[in-house]
Amino acid sequence: MMKVKSNPIYAAHRLAYCAIIFVLIFSVGCTSIKLIADYDEVIDSSVSEFQRNMETHLIKLERNIGTDDASHENSIEFYDEAKVELSSIRVRAAAIPKNELTLTQIELLIQNLENLEKIHQLGIDENDIPPLRNAFNTGTTAILKLELAKKRGIEVGE
Amino acid sequence: MTDIDLSDLVASMLRAAGDSLKDKWPESKDYAESEFKKIGETIIFISQEVLAGRMSEEKAKLHLEMQKNSSKMVLLTLEGLGLLAVEAAINAALKVVTDTVNSAIGFTLL
Repeated sequence: MMKVKSNPIYAAHRLAYCAIIFVLIFSVGCTSIKLIADYDEVIDSSVSEFQRNMETHLIKLERNIGTDDASHENSIEFYDEAKVELSSIRVRAAAIPKNELTLTQIELLIQNLENLEKIHQLGIDENDIPPLRNAFNTGTTAILKLELAKKRGIEVGE
Repeated sequence: MTDIDLSDLVASMLRAAGDSLKDKWPESKDYAESEFKKIGETIIFISQEVLAGRMSEEKAKLHLEMQKNSSKMVLLTLEGLGLLAVEAAINAALKVVTDTVNSAIGFTLL
């Protein structure tokens, strides 16, 4: 305390630190801040459902390669439904504040669905399945991992 | 009312923030390593199929675009996990300030 009285520079620094700390506290509403959106159960369950539908689609294609059942024409209904599903998830993600990262991820997932349909139109072969499966599993896992982490403070398993 | 020791307070805030950041990184690193390994293996597989003449260039481009998009999705998750870690660090530091101020003045101000 003696130093404060005898050293005006020290006193000025101390005052500045205190001012910064108090401005910081009061400007953030006293208790806590949020830099990213909250967890959303609908996004979690919808993306999980999309992953299940996609895996079912890939298994069916894998089983029926070389037959009419694996043709693009026979999968049009699947693509239409999947596009509607992802569009609906996208709209929900866009409505949640501070959710830009998840929104961009959903848009990339939509692009991947469009690319899958283009590949399918060229004709699906056996060697197409592993990279397709990896792309969708990696993408949906990334979205779900971030969504679950938004629960904050709740440990999420690998 | 007791005096607040500024250097102790700042050190406690830094410690609280640092602990939060340290706790999160190993989990993110393991996740990133595992996902990028899978994407790398898939890209090698696509290249091998093209070189062996079993996959057209047109298809390979679409597949690579999909792997690129998946990589971006992983990076966005890492960015999000980083933001959550920073958020936890800031909140841990703010809690130290709140506790210190409340304890110093003897009642709950913050």
